[in-house]
Amino acid sequence: MELLEKIQSIVAEAGQALASAKTESDVEEVRAKTIGRNGSFTALGPLMGKVPPEQKREAGKAFNEAKQNLLAMIEHARESLAGAAEAGAQKLDVTLPGRKWHAGRKHPISQTFDECCAIFRRMGFLATGGPEIETVFNNFDALNAPPDHPSRSPQDTFFFADGRLMRSHTSPVQIRTMLARKPPVRIVAPGRCYRRDTPDATHGVHFHQIEGLYIDTDVSLADLKSTLMTFAAEFFGEKIRVRMRPSFFPFTEPSVECDFTCVMCGGKGCKVCKNTGWIECAGAGMVNPNVLKNVGYDPENCQGFAFGMGIERLTMIKHRIEDLRMFSDNDIRFLAQF
Amino acid sequence: MKVSLNWLADYVTLNVDPVELANILTRTGLEVEEILSTATVPEGVITAKILSREKHPNSDHLSVCRVDPGNGEVLQIVCGAPNCDAGNIVPLATIGTVFRDPEGGKDFKIGKGKLRGIESFGMMCSARELGLSNDHDGLLILPPDTALGKPVSELFKGDTVYNLELTQNRPDWLSHWGVARDVYALCGGELKFPSTQLQETPATNEFDGLVQVTAQDLCPKYTARVIRGVTVKESPEWMQKRLQAIGIRPINNIVDITNYVMMELGVPLHVFDRSLLKDGRIIVRRAAGGEKITALDGKNYDLTGDMLVIADTEKPIAIAGVMGGEYSGVLETTSEVVLESAFFNKSSVRATSAKLNLSSEASHRYERGVDIGMVEKASARAAHLILELAGGTLVSPLVEVALPPVPQPRILCRYDRIRSLLGMEVSNLLMTTIFSKLGMEVEPVNEESCYVIPPTYRMDVTMEADLAEEVARIHGLDNLPDVPVRAVRCAMFSQDTFAPLAAVRDALVSTGLYECVCSSMIDEKSALLDTRFTREDLVCPVNPISLDLAVMRPSLLGGMLNVIRHNISRKNLNLALFEIGHVFCRNPQKFPEEREEVMIALTGQRHPERFSGERTELYDFYDMKGLLETFLEERGNPNYAFKAAEDSRFARGECAELILDGKSAGIFGRAAEALTRGMRLHTPLYLCVMQLDNLLTASKRPVYYQPISQFPATTRDVAFIAPAEMENETVISFIKRAKMPNLVDVQLFDIFTNDSIGAGRKSMAYSLTFRSQDRTLTDEEVNKTYEKIRSKLQHGLGVELR
Repeated sequence: MELLEKIQSIVAEAGQALASAKTESDVEEVRAKTIGRNGSFTALGPLMGKVPPEQKREAGKAFNEAKQNLLAMIEHARESLAGAAEAGAQKLDVTLPGRKWHAGRKHPISQTFDECCAIFRRMGFLATGGPEIETVFNNFDALNAPPDHPSRSPQDTFFFADGRLMRSHTSPVQIRTMLARKPPVRIVAPGRCYRRDTPDATHGVHFHQIEGLYIDTDVSLADLKSTLMTFAAEFFGEKIRVRMRPSFFPFTEPSVECDFTCVMCGGKGCKVCKNTGWIECAGAGMVNPNVLKNVGYDPENCQGFAFGMGIERLTMIKHRIEDLRMFSDNDIRFLAQF
Repeated sequence: MKVSLNWLADYVTLNVDPVELANILTRTGLEVEEILSTATVPEGVITAKILSREKHPNSDHLSVCRVDPGNGEVLQIVCGAPNCDAGNIVPLATIGTVFRDPEGGKDFKIGKGKLRGIESFGMMCSARELGLSNDHDGLLILPPDTALGKPVSELFKGDTVYNLELTQNRPDWLSHWGVARDVYALCGGELKFPSTQLQETPATNEFDGLVQVTAQDLCPKYTARVIRGVTVKESPEWMQKRLQAIGIRPINNIVDITNYVMMELGVPLHVFDRSLLKDGRIIVRRAAGGEKITALDGKNYDLTGDMLVIADTEKPIAIAGVMGGEYSGVLETTSEVVLESAFFNKSSVRATSAKLNLSSEASHRYERGVDIGMVEKASARAAHLILELAGGTLVSPLVEVALPPVPQPRILCRYDRIRSLLGMEVSNLLMTTIFSKLGMEVEPVNEESCYVIPPTYRMDVTMEADLAEEVARIHGLDNLPDVPVRAVRCAMFSQDTFAPLAAVRDALVSTGLYECVCSSMIDEKSALLDTRFTREDLVCPVNPISLDLAVMRPSLLGGMLNVIRHNISRKNLNLALFEIGHVFCRNPQKFPEEREEVMIALTGQRHPERFSGERTELYDFYDMKGLLETFLEERGNPNYAFKAAEDSRFARGECAELILDGKSAGIFGRAAEALTRGMRLHTPLYLCVMQLDNLLTASKRPVYYQPISQFPATTRDVAFIAPAEMENETVISFIKRAKMPNLVDVQLFDIFTNDSIGAGRKSMAYSLTFRSQDRTLTDEEVNKTYEKIRSKLQHGLGVELR
């Protein structure tokens, strides 16, 4: 069939021409000569109508296939020319240093504060604060500390000439909150506290704490446990278990010490946990009825829990930092790690 | 406090192993911090008798011994000990004995060996080699009647000692008996009080005036007994061992007995040599001002009128509850003793101990609270032991001067209330059983409640919440149910005060700064580097820990400079830092006592990680300014401005004030040279100080959508010569104030000086952008406005158009 031969020869010629095409315009010329408005292939279109009916099907198929073929060949030729052009262009040394976008970092202590607050906010706690210079009432008396409790001595706490002091825990924030508001109260108090410890690898004159307080009509020790369990799982990971041991603090009764599974050994026992598999992470308990009375609450009608955790300790465990002094050196090689 | 399990076993059945018991105690509030095991003698070490000793032919210090191990054989043993004399019975480690390293190191096995050419079939041991004591002066010599061939481990049974971490509220645990009581409550078994048996004393009035108490408020109970004819000598080995096991040095039988009974029953006791007491009498009184005493530690103490002393008719002989006097103590010649067992007021003992800076096992117990109900029993127990171990005769009855006993509290226990506090289901019966096991009396009231009367040694139990703790402790905190977390909102979260602070931190971090956290306590010199403050303004604790930490920082400057010094000295030269923290001042005219400030510092290269030309770009004034602009825009505080300022903390002419809502909110610029002197800082340092409050309260732009123009903008440039002092801000606000139609932006794009412009003048060029919200502006209308602006600049601002 004459028509089919013609189609084949146009495709073959176009193939040769494209193979020898050196520029974009060579390719364009091939395109114009074949499938362009006045192209040889386009000219075959009207002839298709004249094909006898019994051959129409076969011819139509061949025509369409050839057209697709031509389009693909032209496209391919264009792409390889473009690729070649790029290959010859300037080549970057991609291993040269990048121009860094300056991204700062929060101090690890602040990061822990943020993370703790975020976890407790999800449980409905409100984060709040207070001054660091405090009264004896807010820091000790209201918290049921016995008059001769050692923490009240100038050996342990920093005092000023007017009798006030640098708060030795963030618990005064609990007192301030309860004095200002009626129950229910549900707060966490992140902040800085001061104790007269000689600075070394595990002590400093200041440290950071987060304390929690939840007072309502029927808050129980079981609620405390679930709150701290949730915190531990969120902060250290789901596998962390929590155990509570009876303890003693003047401001809570019953008082508990809260241990989390040692994150270093997963509870098997190691140097960090002194082979116990547990790390002491929080002191807590049910708010002592005397504390409630001291802020004008009626312990017959409300009850609740309080807890406190050391931010340095949480941070050191989480990031495996061994020396507390790293926090106050503020060496940027340290700060950049978190 | 240390507790020996061998000792504990005298009073209570120990039916669980030491590790399990430690766990049980820890879980119920008596924390076993450490379990110390006295090493047990390994198997294979037997008793053996040295038959002969000869000098080793090839060694000066070795001997060759023939030893009888009790089985008919004779072994040749080479030994280096000085005391391997014939006739001594000693421990012999036979071949195959394995010594385990207590530190977990390599095991050591005894084999047949040759020492300097002579064969040896075992090793004779010192006490230290067997882990029995630190004695390594020679072989451990056993009593001459010791049977041969017996395992030495049978002679020296091992012990386990707990190191207990006690809570303040439980002084009743400060004795073996006290711990035994709780073991009994937790593990059951049998509880047995040690013997206090004493012979009857004949009735006599000889001792009627023995004790006089003139300060009964500080000493509600004082008892004494007189024992005549005691022999002061070493106490028996078993007692010495027990005392050593818990860290007490044996002295003599009398002193050891008082220590032993203190560790056994928790009541500190004291013994006086009666012959050394003037008139043989005891007076318990407050010290007279100016009195002195030499205590048993050999030091002199000045006593004051608030301290309680034990005295004879002449002078103080002991500081009550703290320490005895040197002068009246037990000597080898002592024959007649007065045994004191008493109860002193805990606050008084604590105050005295603190004032004299003198503490002892006795003061440790009295400060926390001694069981007043145990005073007589402890006296009887000690007298019993003295008669048994030191001989003599009890010649006096118990001489007691005491106030009538204070009734024990009766605490109402409402079962439902306890269940509610704990959030735990505990039956009424279980609660009362727990109370009874702990030695508390239970008086039933009705189905809902009972009265509980704690024993005298449970001074910590005074209210219902204490009973709840006992229930939780004994029933077990592990039995607390898992309840869902209650996410109750108790306040509006807009009241969260930490979130806004964290947001400021976030915004500063987003500009590329690293956060520092510095000490609030600094030295005076660093504090006064901030020249806003004088010494009188500083807040200083009366009891600083050192001069380096004597001042509450009045600003963050000193701390920040320290951080920079630290980093520069470690060759961290490119620094972009900030800190937010509390600062303190006594002068209310500067600021009221305590507030929070923000400090920013920039120094070094802007792109230190790049090379060549880029690396030479140092942070400058406009980096700091741009950082502040970015920061304030990020926070949505559009209402800011900058004004040239002068401040001694900053270099002249490179300092500006930050104005927020028309108020001064901070200051920044290049740090004055004085601040960085001696720091080896070779790049300029830029600092910024802001008051956090001003940032938190700054007006915020409401975030409302602004329509975006669909029409193109047209720009025109205007350049002019201006006096050198002309500030950019003056030009921009002049143009903006003119409120020209469709003028949407004015930007400086060029500024320079050169010779052709002339001294005192500069060229400034601005790009003006015109755009309308509703149409494309025509050239004519833009040009018209543009010309107006040019003319205003020329005439209003007096610049010379180019």
